[in-house]
Amino acid sequence: MEIEVLEKNDVNMRLLIRGVDTPFVNALRRTVLAEVPCMAIDEVVIIENSSVLQDEIIAHRLGLIPLKTDLNGYNLPEECPCKSEFGCNLCRVSLTLDAEAKEGTRTVYSGELISENPDIVPVSDKIPIVKLVKEQKLKLEAYARLGKGKKHAKWQPVSMCTYKYYPQIKIDSKRCDACGKCVEICPRKVLTKNVNKIEVRDLIVCTLCQDCMDVCPQNPPAIDVSWDENTFIFNLESTGALPPKRIITEAIKILDKRLKEFIKHVKVKTREKS
Amino acid sequence: MKVKILKRTSNELKIEVEGAGHTLCNLLQKRLLEDENVELASYDIPHPLASNSIIYVCTKGDVKPEEALRKAVERAHQMNKEFSKEFKKALKP
Ligand code: SF4
Ligand code: SF4
Ligand SMILES: [Zn+2]
Repeated sequence: MEIEVLEKNDVNMRLLIRGVDTPFVNALRRTVLAEVPCMAIDEVVIIENSSVLQDEIIAHRLGLIPLKTDLNGYNLPEECPCKSEFGCNLCRVSLTLDAEAKEGTRTVYSGELISENPDIVPVSDKIPIVKLVKEQKLKLEAYARLGKGKKHAKWQPVSMCTYKYYPQIKIDSKRCDACGKCVEICPRKVLTKNVNKIEVRDLIVCTLCQDCMDVCPQNPPAIDVSWDENTFIFNLESTGALPPKRIITEAIKILDKRLKEFIKHVKVKTREKS
Repeated sequence: MKVKILKRTSNELKIEVEGAGHTLCNLLQKRLLEDENVELASYDIPHPLASNSIIYVCTKGDVKPEEALRKAVERAHQMNKEFSKEFKKALKP
């Protein structure tokens, strides 16, 4: 197995993984989406709401605001020693919002939420929550908790997590007459024409649509697009809740734990029976 | 996670696992099929909303099915460990 980092910044990560198979990368992808926990607002106490939106809609919008997450400092509510439905300060963060349109119509943004923990705040201050006209008020207290994507999408730490096969493009230079039709049709501008030759400009962006093969006037096509079934481009975009690296290491940890747990149970059960 | 044995003979094992969806089952099925002692390996998720799955393993008779399953999980585990190692290596400057 070999991994190469193709792109990495605060929210995006793109990896080239060689020597694995689909079930493994898919397990990783599913774990990232459904099992890696992050913080989201889960309960809202509305104190005053004279805006045009119902309490439920505001609560739903609040839930979907991604929050910066501290996985080391907080427990999942079901794993917290407090065993309380309401939660304690190890499994719950309270945020308050007190907004009023004093001067005239204005929008309430996520930046107005005041958190009791300065580390657990919305990832962006500019997410609109509701518009208030003059003299309307919105006052509430919200409780954020850790949760998993399998329960609700608001607990997904990623906005996107995908993989695709690594493309392979072969151009038969003997039969290719450099008509340039494949260059023209390619939606991702993978190919370029260099004097009388077709060259691959950026292989990684190829979507494997094979339009270039269909349009080629040669029969069989002078260009051939295929893929390597053991090499993947793994793409991940964090919501900002957790850094991409942490999301992947967390997914690896969860997979590890589940596999261990699984085998332990199978061993115990089969011993019981025999 | 909870495991229930539905069927067990010298070369067949059918278990129901509570709390394992496609994530684990698909991975294990592939790992099981890599084993040349395994004749058949499959899984089914009877209801799409419940994460209960049924895993079925049938070996050619030389190895016990639970032994094949254990080895398959170990291979999956090994793969995950290797990924973890390579990932750390790739991120080092
Ligand atoms: S369409 Fe076919 S013949 Fe024309 S340039 Fe592309 S590969 Fe060559
Ligand atoms: S398969 Fe599609 S994306 Fe890839 S080179 Fe051909 S036309 Fe472009
Ligand atoms: Zn608690």
